[in-house]
Amino acid sequence: MFWVRDSSIAKRLTRMNILVSGAGLFLCCAVFVAYDVVSFREAMVHNLSIQAQIAGSDSVSALLFNDPQAAQNTLSALKAAPNIVSAGIYTPESRPFAMYRRDGAGQSLSLPPIPPGQIEAHWFKDGHLLVVRKIVFQEKPAGTVFIRSDLHEMSHRLKRYAGIAAIVLLASMIAALLVGSVFQRAVAQPIVHLAELAGIVSRDKDYSVRANPTGNGDEPDILVRAFNEMLGQIQEREGALQEVHRDLEQRVEARTAQLADANKELERQNHEVERATRLKSRFLASMSHELRTPLNAIVGFSDLLAEGGPGELNPKQKRFVNHIKEGSAHLLQLINDILDLSKIEAGQLELHCEYFHVKESLPEVLSTIRPLAMAKNIQVEHALEIDRPAYADRVRFKQILYNLLSNAVKFTPKDGRISIECANDGDFVCISVIDTGIGIRAEDQAVVFEEFRQVEGGKDSTQEGTGLGLAITKRLVEQQGGTISLASEPGNGSRFTFTLPAGIKPNTNASATNTLSATIPQRVAAGEGSSRPLVLIVDDELPARELLASYLSSEYRIAMASSGAEAVEKAEQLRPDAITLDVFLAGGNGFETLAVLRQTPGLKNTPVIIVSIVDQQRLGLALGAADYLIKPIRKALLLETIRKHVPSQLDDDEAILLVDDDPTTLELLADILRSAGYETQSVQSGKRALEVLSSKLVSAVLLDLLMPGMDGFEVIRHVRQDAALKELPIFVMTGKSLTPEESDLLARDTQALLLKNGSWQQQLVAEVERVIQSRKLARSAGQS
Amino acid sequence: MTRKHTCAPGFFRCTLALAITSIVIAAPYLYAQKSGPTENEVKSAYLYNFGKFVEWPAKAASVGEFFSICVLGDNSFASTLETTIAGESINGKKMLVKHVAKPQDSVGCRILFISSSQQTRLKEILAELDNASVLTVSDMPEFTRRGGMIQFVVESNKVRFEVNLTSAERSGLTLSSQLLKVAINVKRSTQSGG
Repeated sequence: MFWVRDSSIAKRLTRMNILVSGAGLFLCCAVFVAYDVVSFREAMVHNLSIQAQIAGSDSVSALLFNDPQAAQNTLSALKAAPNIVSAGIYTPESRPFAMYRRDGAGQSLSLPPIPPGQIEAHWFKDGHLLVVRKIVFQEKPAGTVFIRSDLHEMSHRLKRYAGIAAIVLLASMIAALLVGSVFQRAVAQPIVHLAELAGIVSRDKDYSVRANPTGNGDEPDILVRAFNEMLGQIQEREGALQEVHRDLEQRVEARTAQLADANKELERQNHEVERATRLKSRFLASMSHELRTPLNAIVGFSDLLAEGGPGELNPKQKRFVNHIKEGSAHLLQLINDILDLSKIEAGQLELHCEYFHVKESLPEVLSTIRPLAMAKNIQVEHALEIDRPAYADRVRFKQILYNLLSNAVKFTPKDGRISIECANDGDFVCISVIDTGIGIRAEDQAVVFEEFRQVEGGKDSTQEGTGLGLAITKRLVEQQGGTISLASEPGNGSRFTFTLPAGIKPNTNASATNTLSATIPQRVAAGEGSSRPLVLIVDDELPARELLASYLSSEYRIAMASSGAEAVEKAEQLRPDAITLDVFLAGGNGFETLAVLRQTPGLKNTPVIIVSIVDQQRLGLALGAADYLIKPIRKALLLETIRKHVPSQLDDDEAILLVDDDPTTLELLADILRSAGYETQSVQSGKRALEVLSSKLVSAVLLDLLMPGMDGFEVIRHVRQDAALKELPIFVMTGKSLTPEESDLLARDTQALLLKNGSWQQQLVAEVERVIQSRKLARSAGQS
Repeated sequence: MTRKHTCAPGFFRCTLALAITSIVIAAPYLYAQKSGPTENEVKSAYLYNFGKFVEWPAKAASVGEFFSICVLGDNSFASTLETTIAGESINGKKMLVKHVAKPQDSVGCRILFISSSQQTRLKEILAELDNASVLTVSDMPEFTRRGGMIQFVVESNKVRFEVNLTSAERSGLTLSSQLLKVAINVKRSTQSGG
């Protein structure tokens, strides 16, 4: 329906008007026309009948006196009626008597029969009206008259009517349109107006507009009033809403301003904190340097004095020196602890987490703690049931363990026992240190991990320490993602347990336990000042290893490995000067190990001497062995064979350049290195060092970082930029706390970093030996 | 009437006899008018029809119980006329044919047919009839000119008639316009012979 599509109510109203009036008028016209047609037909029949009657009676005499001409004349009078097409007079015998045709032709017409008993009949036939009438004169039939008329008049009339009806319809529709527009203005206008307003309101959100009420109280008027009222309410609410909104905005603004202020304040405070932190870390860095430097001198020289280097001391002097040693060692420990704690609190503790096996690090700690324990005749045991590596900072782990062990030694009476247990605990590695000491009271257990808290009331005066050890330990453990706990009963000893995250690296060294205990003391032994070549002994049987080690230890430093894999690992790590290799190994065939060693870069030229029960000399030599000895072997033969391949003495033709601004440190270093068999030259500034380097060949540089003028970093930069000095080994020795960038730089450009916060002297000798030895080997390899 | 009685034994036989008689009588005309009626028969029918288109004065119309057509002269015509009007009536009055010998006898007649044989004595006859309300009809020549009212004329084998309207009006007769319409000649003023 076409009018449903169009939404305009005005148009719909107009169309409705036109339709209604048009339909009514059309019906009226149709009825009138139909009525007129019927009555016109009736009139036509009537008229024609009368004409037939007249013609008939006028023709009576003509019929009676047989005068067709007279009848013809009578009929001719019908010309006056243009609708009559033809007419005829017939005798009573139905013979044509006279004929009339409008168009002139004189053809006779057949007479339609009149139904019996009737005087007249008519038909509408083929667009004509036919009337037949009997002529009766004085009750006697005189003949019949027949008239045929066309219906042109009627069709004309119909056409006229139709035209008039059309005009009337058209006129009335126009009138309806005009009236409708007036009507529409009255009815539709308010609604249209309302619709427009609603559009404006929903589009512009302008609730202040109002529709104009018509005031006549009809439905549109009611609608308009309701709409206005609604708008009013909305406007009111909108206003209230906007008020709330404004209020809210103001509050937000105020709050934002407050926040901005607070932020500014925070920023300011943050800056201050940052500045304070910067100051603190700078203070820490300089403190660690400034404190350690003199202390190193004290410790180092008292050591030298105690060892009788400068000359034998009398017992009293020795005792005094030992007091100095002990006091300075304690002071060094205290300073180290305080610096550590400060670093932790400043958030500057840097952890270098890696995967490592506890059992590999344990011996180092044990070797440090055992002398202390032995002094009190305390037995140290350990039970390791662990197959996963820990993920932690290896150095810090050792520190933790050392702290706990030294604590245990401190609180365990003479002839006591300390045990270390190590086990897997889910995703953690769990390490416990158990002692048979005095124990800790329940109320004290909570505070032992706090700074500067020492449990008092110990029964003897053996307690010493800074009171910081356990606090640092706790923080170190926690910083690495572990936990530490304490279980103790007074009189029944204590159990400290800490955990570290466990790694997923599989244990590649199942039998490391056995060798470690032997290896590490050997490395410590290596730090005793010897510059002897290193021999790696590879055998899966401990007695065999120890036998070989005893044969060789008089002239060589010893490292041991119990399996092929370990042998390769150690060889890569330690770069031994020679390797003795057994063919029967727990982890595999010695020949395979030999093949691997021969293919490993840097180990290709390391002489490997096979020492085995089996005689497969040909195969061994073919695989690259330097020599082949068959067990049992004599000491003399072994030494002779190894000497053949490894020179046992170093050629100290080049000096080590020592660079430090502190003359005492320089003297200490020179003394230590000379006693280890090295030549030294000391300079007190970076600038001077570069001058020496440019004029003289040195074997290595030992460099302090913090110096006035050109500092250590600058020296390193200069050295590394010089093509001739690119390969020069640089050892850095410092008390400075290093930033990550500095650590990275040093790891890249220097061969060793020695921190002045511990037993650096031994490390120094070991590192110097290692680096210089490998340089020598590399040089000899390059020459050969 | 007697003839009518003789016909009583059988209508069919009577009709047949009449038809045969008619054919015998009309034989001389059969060829002239083809299959149509004889001249006398036509004239008889005309005489009968004249009665329908003429109005007589009330005095004359009310006289007698018959509508009588009188024949003066020739007897043979009378019989044909008798056959034509047998059983017919005009205005409720039965028609009757009377044979009269002299004009005086025609008193009470509505129509007087004057045979051609009376041509010589026509002036006396008309004089005798003066003022009598009788429609005078004849087939003699010059009849209307001499004062007769309706004169039969044969024109191209068809029987027509002339009318002297003045004679008729003088006798108080009114001739219908219908009648005048079919007349071939209507005289308004009499060319009196006297």
